[in-house]
Amino acid sequence: MVYYLTDLLVLGCINSIMVVGLNLQYGYTGLLNFAYYTYVAIGAYVAAVTTMGRTAMAGGGTYILGWTLPWYVGLLIGGVVAAILGAVVFGFTVRRLRSDYLAIVTVSAAFIFWNIINTYEPLFNGATGLYHVPNIISTSTTRYGFIMLALSAGILAIFVWGSRRIFRSPFGRLLRSMREDEAVTAAFGRTSWQPQLWIFMIGCFIAGIAGGLFVFYITAWSPYAFLPLESFILLAALIVGGAGNYWGALLGAFVLIEGLAELSRFLPSFGNGADVGAIRAIVIGFVLILMLRYRRGGLIPERWLHWYGPPAKPVLPRARFAAARRAR
Amino acid sequence: MSQFLVAVGFGLATASVVALAAVAVSLQVSVTNFINFAYGDFMTFGAYIAWSATRHGINLVPAIILGGIATGLLGVLANILVFRPFMRQGVRPVTLLIAGVGLSFIVQNALTVIWGAEPVRFNVTLGNSLHVGPFLLTPGDLVMFGTSVTLLVLLHVMLAYTKFGKALRATSNNSDLAKACGIDSERVVSITWFLAGLLTAVAGVGLVLQESTLDPTTGFTELFVIFGAVILGGIGRPYGAMLGALAIGLLTEISGAYLNAAYKTSIAFGVVIVLLLFRPQGLFATKGKIS
Amino acid sequence: MSSEASGDLLNVQDVGYAYGGVWAVRGCSFSVRSGEVTGLIGPNGAGKSTMIEMLSGTLTPREGKIHFDGSDMTGLRPVQVARKGIARTFQTARVLAALPVIENVVLAAQGQIGENPLKALFFRGSWRSQEEELRKEAAGLLDWLGLGHHLLSPAGTLSGGQRRLMEIARALMAHPKLMLLDEPTAGVFPETSQLIASRIREIAAQGVTVLLIAHNMGFLSAVADDVVVMAEGRVLTRGPLEVVREHAGVVSAYLGTAVAGSRETGPTTAQGASE
Repeated sequence: MVYYLTDLLVLGCINSIMVVGLNLQYGYTGLLNFAYYTYVAIGAYVAAVTTMGRTAMAGGGTYILGWTLPWYVGLLIGGVVAAILGAVVFGFTVRRLRSDYLAIVTVSAAFIFWNIINTYEPLFNGATGLYHVPNIISTSTTRYGFIMLALSAGILAIFVWGSRRIFRSPFGRLLRSMREDEAVTAAFGRTSWQPQLWIFMIGCFIAGIAGGLFVFYITAWSPYAFLPLESFILLAALIVGGAGNYWGALLGAFVLIEGLAELSRFLPSFGNGADVGAIRAIVIGFVLILMLRYRRGGLIPERWLHWYGPPAKPVLPRARFAAARRAR
Repeated sequence: MSQFLVAVGFGLATASVVALAAVAVSLQVSVTNFINFAYGDFMTFGAYIAWSATRHGINLVPAIILGGIATGLLGVLANILVFRPFMRQGVRPVTLLIAGVGLSFIVQNALTVIWGAEPVRFNVTLGNSLHVGPFLLTPGDLVMFGTSVTLLVLLHVMLAYTKFGKALRATSNNSDLAKACGIDSERVVSITWFLAGLLTAVAGVGLVLQESTLDPTTGFTELFVIFGAVILGGIGRPYGAMLGALAIGLLTEISGAYLNAAYKTSIAFGVVIVLLLFRPQGLFATKGKIS
Repeated sequence: MSSEASGDLLNVQDVGYAYGGVWAVRGCSFSVRSGEVTGLIGPNGAGKSTMIEMLSGTLTPREGKIHFDGSDMTGLRPVQVARKGIARTFQTARVLAALPVIENVVLAAQGQIGENPLKALFFRGSWRSQEEELRKEAAGLLDWLGLGHHLLSPAGTLSGGQRRLMEIARALMAHPKLMLLDEPTAGVFPETSQLIASRIREIAAQGVTVLLIAHNMGFLSAVADDVVVMAEGRVLTRGPLEVVREHAGVVSAYLGTAVAGSRETGPTTAQGASE
């Protein structure tokens, strides 16, 4: 029972990290990235091949690198590589395309990436994937669960803190204004693409870290772990939870991804077997459409974050003015 | 050389299937101005209905018709229940896209629940491949090709010569102006969804006959190839979509013949990406409707 | 040709713009003197909004030159125009609906240290005091414009008139040298219109130059030092409002008939018309 709960919570934390990262890209800035899970996968793969060495997989298998760096270095490198790739993709696509075309391009890119990894074995061992990825620390299974829980919860807390910091900063304000109305933002002297690039990279970094955590937890990774569908589920979780609000991101991840997965355990399976996941997806689809229609802000809308404390007592405008004019 | 021609033959066969679906998408986009992500799953739906019908003893052709009608109705339903309320609300295109994604979840997984995730086959034996000139085609390919051409010709006749066709072209060009001229644009939209669904179903069956197995994800994976054709021809331009389908079909098959066949779909997707980045108005851009 | 007559902040020379084949503005020349409130008036279709779009950088003139504060500004994009010290409001008030009013206004302030992502995340000390100062200033401006009770409301909940006031506060926040106001009183109550007029006069008294489009003669007489009359894409005449109103050409441009010498009060409505 304890193990079951721990497992649930670890996965919940890791999924939450992903949705928090996606929130930065889509919730704050309005960048629709249908290939988000690809960056998770990159983080996972890179973390794996930089830490598992050459001899981990008994039956051989081909993959690049094969270093044996400590886990935290591998994790970090995974995040960084994901961020760099994100920057490249951003440079090519996000700058130029409106959101629905961007969606098509990013999904197509995600599929191509998946196809290449699945087919070209020397990269990450193709369809078989990688396994026997080393644990962070050698210990019993239950204790490993606790350690991973502590680690992922801690990292989640850091990223939530970061989200909050960004939200309350001029940078966050700028991102949201670009999301709402780029023309107005430009009319007050701000170029869009640099802040967007930054937040895109940060979001991809977070995805990569989540991927790394994931792979150290389940110690294996293969193309079947990152079907392009997964990005949609993350997006649905974000929208249902409340895009733009990092608490909404958490809620969406836990409720939609975890909660539904666990709930469906208690349903009788009817008909043809593979249904648990299918029913879950149907529910997600319905909830998504209903949410978009009737409560676009999600369960925890962004505007609930707007409490900064009472505004300071206004100063006489004339004095303000003169001071400002002199400063100019 | 003969390998090349054989690939060309495959390309034509693929193109005939893609063309139907691409034209369907183009028609719908031209009157509603957004892209429905659930079309792939409409294709799968139509194919499943037809397959189900054949398992109950109905012949192939009536089964396809049944599948077409069912999918047409599905399209109309989707419009009424999902898309139209959003459009009346005046939402951003992104929201419609995501709604389409939600719909795709529902349809695809409903199919899984009803018919299972295991691949199935059409219980139709169509004989072995024949040599038709320099091409190597199955009778299934030929039938599909013929059906496709027939349907497209019928479509062209409808668009060019019937009253509805004119109403459709008017609505796609400028829906407010069309309304002002007394055209009931909502009815036009509904009928367009029906037609699009119908064509998509036939394409779905054609796809299954080519790929020979059907499972809930069949249509979805084909979706981006279809988008490629639509974009190549210019979004919202049905005639362009036909040419786009031809181009994509030939491109994927020919390159698939010389490179690893597993990368075939990736090539199609790559084309989509390059196009959207550098020439989103398609290859045949003139002054026309661009979404 | 020199761009600087004494005190000219803005100089427009022979500017033209065409939509497709139709010239909305052509051979249009005028200047705006520093520290004054200049009205840009004219009947529908005269090209006033097109002119403002060119001045703000949204449209690039096909012909002619625009000089601002001594340098050539023709063809700069809106971001660059804004950085030169020009702030604008929009014909239909554009607010960031999801953000609180005060955030909308603070956004406009230039040179915010906290907009750098690294500083935002890791070095809060570097921008915290600036942010507080800016919020105080924005609160002050908003209060001055009558929106003091709406600071934390989402901007989407403001009424049309309130949005126009917010836009003025926002434009002021950028500490511009020139403010371009596109119909700042369209669709507002008369009391609000008076408030806006008196506030604009105070702004000008502080040395900010204002160029505004307006149709309401009452508002214009209260606020404008000088008006430039446009018709059919070019400048018809300019001068103080009382003088210009009697000008036969102006009268006929508005009314379509030559009513020479008659004491017309001119149109007092025609709010929110598109050009």
